[in-house]
Amino acid sequence: MLLAVLFVLTFLEAIVAFAGSDDIVRDPVAGLVETRLENGLRVILLEDHRTPVVAFQIWVDAGSSDESFYTGIAHLFEHMMFKGSKNIPAEVHAQLINERGGRINAYTNRDVTVYHEDVTAESLPLVIDLEAERFAYLDISQETLESEREVVLEERRLRTEDSPEGRGFEALAALVWQAHPYRWPTIGWRSDVEAVTVAACRDFFDTYYAANNLTVVIVGDFETASTIDRIRRTFGRLRAADEIPRNPTSVIPQRGERRAEILFDVKIPLLYAGWHTPATGHPDGEALDVASQILSGGRSSRLYRSLVYEKEKALYAYGGYMELSDAGMFYAIAGARPGESLDEVEALFMAEIERVATDGVSEEEVARAKRQMEVGLVSGLATNHALASRIGREIVAFGRVRPLEERIDAIRSVTPEDVQRVVRTYLQPESRSVIHVIAARSDENSNAEVAR
Amino acid sequence: MKREYKSVIAVAMLLFLGLGCGLSGPRPAWEVPPPPPVENPIVSSGDLHRTTLPNGLKVILLEDDRLPRVALGITLRRGAGSVDPSQAGVAELAVEVMQRGAGDRDALALAKVVEDVGASLSVASGWDTTTVSLSGLSIDQELLFEILEDVALRPRFDRKEFEKARAEQQAAIVAAQDEPATLIRWHVLRVLYEGHRYGQPRIGTEETLSRLDVDQTRAYWVDRFVPGNAIFWAVGDFDAAEWIPEIQRAFGGMSQGPVVENTPPAATRSPSERRIVVVDKPDLVQARIIVAHEGIARTESTRIAVDLMNDALGGSGFSSRLMKTIRSDEGLTYGVGSGFALRSEPGPFSVSTFTRVSKVRRVVDLVLEEMDAIRNARPVGEEELARFVSYNVGRFGLSLETSDAVLSSLVDLDVYDLPENSLDTYRSRVRAVTLEEVASAAELRLHPDRAAIVVLGPAAILVPELEDLGPVEVRQP
Repeated sequence: MLLAVLFVLTFLEAIVAFAGSDDIVRDPVAGLVETRLENGLRVILLEDHRTPVVAFQIWVDAGSSDESFYTGIAHLFEHMMFKGSKNIPAEVHAQLINERGGRINAYTNRDVTVYHEDVTAESLPLVIDLEAERFAYLDISQETLESEREVVLEERRLRTEDSPEGRGFEALAALVWQAHPYRWPTIGWRSDVEAVTVAACRDFFDTYYAANNLTVVIVGDFETASTIDRIRRTFGRLRAADEIPRNPTSVIPQRGERRAEILFDVKIPLLYAGWHTPATGHPDGEALDVASQILSGGRSSRLYRSLVYEKEKALYAYGGYMELSDAGMFYAIAGARPGESLDEVEALFMAEIERVATDGVSEEEVARAKRQMEVGLVSGLATNHALASRIGREIVAFGRVRPLEERIDAIRSVTPEDVQRVVRTYLQPESRSVIHVIAARSDENSNAEVAR
Repeated sequence: MKREYKSVIAVAMLLFLGLGCGLSGPRPAWEVPPPPPVENPIVSSGDLHRTTLPNGLKVILLEDDRLPRVALGITLRRGAGSVDPSQAGVAELAVEVMQRGAGDRDALALAKVVEDVGASLSVASGWDTTTVSLSGLSIDQELLFEILEDVALRPRFDRKEFEKARAEQQAAIVAAQDEPATLIRWHVLRVLYEGHRYGQPRIGTEETLSRLDVDQTRAYWVDRFVPGNAIFWAVGDFDAAEWIPEIQRAFGGMSQGPVVENTPPAATRSPSERRIVVVDKPDLVQARIIVAHEGIARTESTRIAVDLMNDALGGSGFSSRLMKTIRSDEGLTYGVGSGFALRSEPGPFSVSTFTRVSKVRRVVDLVLEEMDAIRNARPVGEEELARFVSYNVGRFGLSLETSDAVLSSLVDLDVYDLPENSLDTYRSRVRAVTLEEVASAAELRLHPDRAAIVVLGPAAILVPELEDLGPVEVRQP
């Protein structure tokens, strides 16, 4: 369509620019303004007026791995944050945002709890005031705890108890992280969610929702100076904690393969496998990402081609590197086609990993994987919400936002030898854990684990 | 229940009126009237280019150089709804086979050429559309355009690939047995649209798939890809002036042909009387519930009033009546929502939720009660309407944050032959809706008395719970 010569020139120019200068892809985080209030609250602002939209997020540096008595309390507590505060009745915070067209929600994972709102620009003051209100004056009553506990138990039924995938992953984490607090599910074990008390909720709030354990991130159409003033006026009243306690248990080295079965009413038997990998930010992270792209990134990837396309044994098959603050896991997931043996699917899956360890990967595959990852980074710049998420995640994990250039350089420096090395180092048969989710034998009609 | 609901609204109003307990210093934002929403123009002038080629192919191009990306595609104004029920699944199968070889490239070569540059290729069908699209970096735009030409004009429809794709689609139908959310939706379609194309899953059934052949998948695409039935679109960092001659070169030579008939009329009253269906899944601890009947078409003239009514009922998350009653007050579910599936013919209206098996009857009663109340005892009031007008106006601005979203809305309008300026007029049309129009939408579009009640879970427990509502039909998954 364009003249070929012109195209080649553009191509060369852009590649150079993409690799180094900010002519083509300007990383907006260069314009971050960081402030710390006297109470220790970290505030990261990125003003950008291109669309009249603002993303607001509060990152609490506390997730399910910080729980010490009741598992699931971090997540249950996240629900309680919507149940009213001194000046705002239950659910009204979300309704006020919603009714101006905003999107409001929250999530909890093993490391963090994040409250987020996306609004049109004029609603930012409302968001700030409402967030500061609930972080300062949360009201936790027995009555709201009881109804929200039931909501969370429904969420657990939905995501885990009635879900073969949920069951598989829950069992895998418990097997891989035998000792570390990552072993329990973020939503908690049922008995714990059923037993959480108001006092325990208050204690969790006092311990982890202190100003010096929070990061506020705002990206989009606002004025920095007046926004900082407003945050000072509202969040400034939050108290700081002397100390934020952390669970001391670390990951113990695995000596030998671990296996378990989950019996469930499934038509498609599922394979879950996991290996210990380094925590987020480790220099091997990019090579592990490249390995996961080569194994699973698209229709040219090895797992799709072997298990799904050529041998037609699996309906899907993929693996990935999950990075957390204290540890990582390389996971493998596959669903066998009806009538196919899960053992055979597992053997084919492991053979593909073994093939990388033994024969390595090609330059072509590595180049393709890197390009896919780089394009992914560019796509992450498209919305204020995605930018705010990147900023929050990196600040909590590393204390800084890694510039795009640094990420791209790290990706580009990965060699085929690196990929082979990390697969050999981390994805060893002796350190893997394997779960099979399979149909109950014919004499066991119902799932013994599920109490009615 | 009724009183409790109103009391929360009352508290919210008090807060707006400044009667809440104030904090020291300036008043918090929830105590002052909300500022007017920022109303940016939908598209900056000069960025949007529309034209129609002499052979009838519509072209919509939206330039946006903020990121070095581009997405381009061809959308046909026909989809899975336009095939005979006996061929259900042919659209999904055709689009899958199209991704498995085009022009000089076989399946692997096509995947590689796309993935080598970190781009993505998608061929997808909905009820009313079929779309080939590519997205990637703008430095690769020439290559992406070439691949689009190949896939749209020279798809291979290889027999071996057809067989592989069909086996995969058949396995996916079996896999849906393990997904309660999918499974119950398929049963609802069957209950509402038996005999019509909407009565079967878009991906077809094992039976219809087993009868299809590769020539039918080729015919699916070829019969629908005529210039007068297609839209070429692109969005991102490219030069529209350079592209238009290229589009003419690539697609201008296609000759006009007859356009395949669209979806035949669907039932305007379904079910005609209450039906209760239990789909037996003895192992589930949580039952899925859908209460459904016929809805409205995408082109329904009162659509915005219907949307506003539905937002109040169950379409607006935590601001809706159903969420308040069933989740917030009684802790019976993690989520509940209602909505109209908008297609060329009226798709289903449904309320969808889930709860522990022992609470199914309570939840069904509450859903029917709320559907009835919004028509009779508690119609949408002035203050409630104002909140949902504000919700829609605000959400509209937020939803158009990216040019990709704007472009996709423009293509959608064209597919349904709706006015080109619909996005520009949307906010004022929302504000113009009256209480009477919302009341009439509830009256005409909600039918709690004859809705189908479909529940997926252990029949042995559920049937006795539901029997006094009417005869219960038990189905196998």
